[in-house]
Amino acid sequence: MTGRPLYVGIDLGTTNSAVAVFDGETTQVIRNAQGSTLTPSVVRIDGKGRVTVGAAARRFLERDPENTRSEFKRLMGTERALPFAASGRSLRPPELAAAVLGALRADVLDQVGLLPDAAVISVPALFELPQSAATSEAAKLAGFGKVELLPEPIASALAAGWTAEQGDGRWLVYDLGGGTFDVSLLETDGGFLRVVGHDGDNFLGGRDFDWAIVDWALAEIAREHGVTIRRDDPTHGAAIAQLKHAAEDAKVGLSRAGQVVLTLAAPLEIPGAAPFDPELALDRAVLEGLISPLVDRSLDVCRRLLQEHGTSADQLARIVFVGGPTVTPMLRERVGHTLGAAVAEGLDPMTLVAQGAAIHAASTALDGRPAGPLVRRGARLWLQFPAVCTDLSPHVIGRVVDAGQGPMPSNVRLVRGDGGFTSEVATLDDDRAFVAAVELVARHANVFEIVAEDAAGVRVAVDPPSVTIVQGMTIGDPPLSRSIGVALVSDHVQVYFERGTPLPARRSFTHATVESVARGAAEAVLKIPIVQGEHDRAHLCRLVGTLEIPGHAIGKTLPAGSDIELTIELDRGGRMSAKALVPALDQMFEHVAHLLVPAADPEVLAASLAALRQRVDDLRAEAFRRGMPHIIGALEHAEHDLGDVSRDLGAATGGNDDAGQRARRTLLEIDAALDEVEQSKQWPELEQRVVRTLTWAGGQVGHLGTERERALFEDVAKAIDRARAERNVRELQRQLRLANQLGETAWYRDPDTWPALFDEASSRVDAASDLPRAQALVREGKAARARDDGAELRRITEKLWRLLPHDPTARRASYDSGVR
Amino acid sequence: MSAVDRWGDNPFFVLDLPVTATRAEVERAGQKWLGMLEVGMSRAAIYTTPLGVRARTPELVRAAMAELRDPERRIGHELWHLEHEPPSTLDAEDDADAEGPEPEPAALRILGWSRP
Repeated sequence: MTGRPLYVGIDLGTTNSAVAVFDGETTQVIRNAQGSTLTPSVVRIDGKGRVTVGAAARRFLERDPENTRSEFKRLMGTERALPFAASGRSLRPPELAAAVLGALRADVLDQVGLLPDAAVISVPALFELPQSAATSEAAKLAGFGKVELLPEPIASALAAGWTAEQGDGRWLVYDLGGGTFDVSLLETDGGFLRVVGHDGDNFLGGRDFDWAIVDWALAEIAREHGVTIRRDDPTHGAAIAQLKHAAEDAKVGLSRAGQVVLTLAAPLEIPGAAPFDPELALDRAVLEGLISPLVDRSLDVCRRLLQEHGTSADQLARIVFVGGPTVTPMLRERVGHTLGAAVAEGLDPMTLVAQGAAIHAASTALDGRPAGPLVRRGARLWLQFPAVCTDLSPHVIGRVVDAGQGPMPSNVRLVRGDGGFTSEVATLDDDRAFVAAVELVARHANVFEIVAEDAAGVRVAVDPPSVTIVQGMTIGDPPLSRSIGVALVSDHVQVYFERGTPLPARRSFTHATVESVARGAAEAVLKIPIVQGEHDRAHLCRLVGTLEIPGHAIGKTLPAGSDIELTIELDRGGRMSAKALVPALDQMFEHVAHLLVPAADPEVLAASLAALRQRVDDLRAEAFRRGMPHIIGALEHAEHDLGDVSRDLGAATGGNDDAGQRARRTLLEIDAALDEVEQSKQWPELEQRVVRTLTWAGGQVGHLGTERERALFEDVAKAIDRARAERNVRELQRQLRLANQLGETAWYRDPDTWPALFDEASSRVDAASDLPRAQALVREGKAARARDDGAELRRITEKLWRLLPHDPTARRASYDSGVR
Repeated sequence: MSAVDRWGDNPFFVLDLPVTATRAEVERAGQKWLGMLEVGMSRAAIYTTPLGVRARTPELVRAAMAELRDPERRIGHELWHLEHEPPSTLDAEDDADAEGPEPEPAALRILGWSRP
């Protein structure tokens, strides 16, 4: 490799994509063959199988929708393949994304002269694991050897922070893309950037603005021309696509003009009606009315984030807007005014993410230059240093991994290229390693020559001969956007990583199997579902992967109650791997199956919608009967969301898979919200539970707890008071569980506890999943009790619990989990 | 987490820093330990606490850095660290004539004190 490094960042967008490169000091947004910095995320395959990407493909969206695909980013992580009728091919979303990434990679070659081998690709902060995995797959398919994923708000914050001269403070990145909305609260302190928190809506984007305009246009057409065009009618697909394209243009036009006319490429053709060319004039006031509810929805998310992190509007230094839809003047004014903060000017909202991704590539030393032939230039060093660094005095750490035929270096010093600094001489230790502190020039790429000498003071050539460290804003390890855990048979979740955990991360827990898995049985499979979300009931979280232990893959039959040592690992991009060690088999299982977003079948969605409507009706009737006005308000909100689902379901029936996915997601969220409504109905009972739990657990902890447990219990009791004051059902239940756990921990120390628990478990032994084993345990337990062996009795009782039956309904809801 | 783990995994021990360390010193120390662990320097693989020697891992270092980046969480660790100062350190204050060490700023803050 020669010359300056090539750090590549890609914003793989729903509507448009962009690529930028960073050489250590400045970023350059790459222009495509048409001279634009934006490449439409559109792919076309014609009858001869020729693939076209970008603006050339976008022109065919209305004319040839059967062979032209867009907005596939919203389907990433699903198994849905999109057909191209003329060629007879079907491509999965990662394959379509790979076509776009490949085009961007070729643009870098055209502009820079190098075909990059590595890149950082941005993803929405609230992307779930299957969506991240699909993005990585797309990068590999596009020919990238190495790829890192970076949450979009972090990318835009890095780019904004890199050029910002403003001082310290908290700021908000409001990122409204084509299909997703992310908002991040960041803090700069002494040049260090920290993500305080983020929130968002995975299914709110500029595209919803376009659909709002389309819906308005459909109403106008019905009124003016008496023609009904339906989004859920597949025969109206071409007309809808035409109107959608016109809506996109109108939205952009209205960011500059007060009024525009929706221009259609050709007259609309609707079966049963003569072709017609409606003239639809749209002004800013109407547009503002149409998108106002969507902007409000985004503002609700902003307020929630600020409130969660105790940040009032006057503490907010500035807002950075990212994404095409944020050029809408009304949106900028409304968001800036509502949140009461200054809007950062002078940043390109369309390419900021790509620029930030390129800067991040530098901070993770992801040089995209293709590897050249290996040329040995001296003793080979393994170096560790920050390629980009806020600190002015970082360390360079190195180790001689191969001295080759030459002399072994004895000491090392680093000399800055401008001659203004030479490090202290670092002597190699017994590991043949050294640590040297260096001084950087602010906001520059600092090149240090590595000067090594042998024991006799003779200069020794080393490879690499120099290092480059860029001084500038960096960010710590990216935080996990949503909690990840394992769904248990009880429909509870064992949380492995809390939201906000710095990545990369790894954690292990031991689970027990709930039933035996027969060796060789084709249909026998033990499932360990991995879920993502903030709910403590598994069925309310998203299933993001299932680790399976099939009967045909095990060396011998696995009895019920066997230990499974599960380790889940997440890399910096949020990609997950999992492995399960089964000590009884001495086998390791690593294959995570079905890392896909579940399919959104319109019929299933319609049935769910009907069931939820009925549930809302029932709850409302009960709320009126019992006089509970606070519940009625929550139900109105749910009902409004059900209306959205109904509209999306119509579009999904018409073939819009993305709308189907959004409907699925919203239904899940409504389900969770109704669960909370149900729980809030039981507030008086919950209050009684608070008294009972605090009395019991407080007594146990006070009597048998350690000093630390008593201190923790005090914290929990205060949190319970807060949750009661806020009438926060979910938080109150969480704290009550913690109080119970503390109480139980103390209670288990009581010598009388385990005999009682053993008796209770023994009384249910007839229902055990492995009766002979359970009966043997009962015999062992009785013997342990007879000899007053409390520790053994506890061990046996816990084993017995593992063999006792689970609730089959809970298990089904918990994605058929086979572990507890 | 047990009290022993909470004590032993205190980020200030993991990063070998005093509770007065600045944000820049936290980042610098974290970067140094991660680099040393990556190249396999044996002297980076352990750290010392008053309860004995413990293993330092990249995960532990990253987690410690994340804890100390968050001002609210950092205060908790500062207090925990101070609360459990080893007896030998406290014994040094026995000399009534000697001026005691200046209380740590974070401890003062959390108790509601402020400098004039």
